[in-house]
Amino acid sequence: MFVKPFRYERAASFGDAAAMLRQGAGSAKVLAGGQSLLPMMNLGVLDLEALIDVTHIAGASEIAQRDGYLSIGALRTHAELERDPIVAAGQPLVAAAARWVGSSRIRVRGTLGGSLAHSDPAAELPLAMVVAGATYDLTDGTTTRTVAATDFHESYFTTSLAENELLERVQVPVLGPGWGWGFAEVSRRRGDFALCAAAALVRVADGRVVESRLGLAGVAERPKRLGAVEIAVEGADATTLADRIGPIEGIDPVSDVSATAEHRRHLARVLAVRALTDAVTRGVAA
Amino acid sequence: MTATDVTVTLTVNGAPTTRTTGGHVSLLRWLRDLADVTDPKYGCGEGVCGACTVLVDGEPASACIVLAAQVDGAAITTAAGLCEPDGSLGPLQRRFHEHHAAQCGFCTPGMLLCAHAMLRDATEPLSRADIREQLHGNLCRCTGYTDIVDAIEDAQAQGIAR
Repeated sequence: MFVKPFRYERAASFGDAAAMLRQGAGSAKVLAGGQSLLPMMNLGVLDLEALIDVTHIAGASEIAQRDGYLSIGALRTHAELERDPIVAAGQPLVAAAARWVGSSRIRVRGTLGGSLAHSDPAAELPLAMVVAGATYDLTDGTTTRTVAATDFHESYFTTSLAENELLERVQVPVLGPGWGWGFAEVSRRRGDFALCAAAALVRVADGRVVESRLGLAGVAERPKRLGAVEIAVEGADATTLADRIGPIEGIDPVSDVSATAEHRRHLARVLAVRALTDAVTRGVAA
Repeated sequence: MTATDVTVTLTVNGAPTTRTTGGHVSLLRWLRDLADVTDPKYGCGEGVCGACTVLVDGEPASACIVLAAQVDGAAITTAAGLCEPDGSLGPLQRRFHEHHAAQCGFCTPGMLLCAHAMLRDATEPLSRADIREQLHGNLCRCTGYTDIVDAIEDAQAQGIAR
């Protein structure tokens, strides 16, 4: 582990961090939990002159529910999302997705903002945010803009963050009455990257799907909503759901050492059915 | 010392320790190469194998993917911190010894600390499947895990967490 030396800097505020990023002009990156960034530095994948530690910024780790939204500070860790009662009550899909992230060591240090900004196409939290219809508050220290999760995650490890912007906060719509959630994933071993993961939210009335939101991770360049499947399952109940879902269109799985593209394509359908079925079952009970 | 060096003070197994080095130095290298604390091992450098596990303020962390500068001021516990004050094996370490839960021993420090954290944090009795699931971030290339799970199960049965 012979890492090329880089500077370690601590930001006291988002404005401070944005100024450091501007100064770094592309040779500096934001360090939060570091559970993806530091392995990349260790492996020599990234060549940077400075890392800017944002984890000491005060007031950036709120979890609150107001006006129908969960507001979650970017510095909240996966372990906190997993355990927080406000998250569990407001949008249980987020808590469920956080439980699938890496090992417990990673979940204790890794942060929500870090995972979203890293934008791994197989990651659980970007998927949950896209399906839940979340928006992200991005700041350059002076102005803040709000971007929908679907627009933020552009492609493999690529987001709409500008070079001097940071993700400050996430707003997640609260799960409404009559809605159920489902999350399903297959990985080679627990804690590994998902070969494929599916997240679903379903509004149920009289045991049938009224409307749904379904997405997949690990089978495209970013988390993908499956609009055609959402329409196909309208009116179905838990027992007839699977019959409505054919091969999944609009995904582009790749073959690698972990799985073939065909296997991922197979998982896409299986996990979509599983997540939707769990969501319907929970919606009926809600 | 250069302008970009950082001074980090950590309480390592109860002993306050201060070293000044480059800000890029991982907690693992800080412990092993600067503070001569060599029980955490370097395995993968990616946070996958668990051999470098230490407790940072009580929570397990992969020391190879944490910068020492990030955790300045923290209390660090390594596997040696589970020993008795006189340096002899602690109760959890004795269970590992009795069950022959180590062969080459390289993964053992990380296994011990993860076992300690899971036993400490368990809100209900852990099944063998629970123990295996919680050990998924610790790789052993010798034992096949059976003896390790036996040792942790035995520790749980005897109410031992450290």
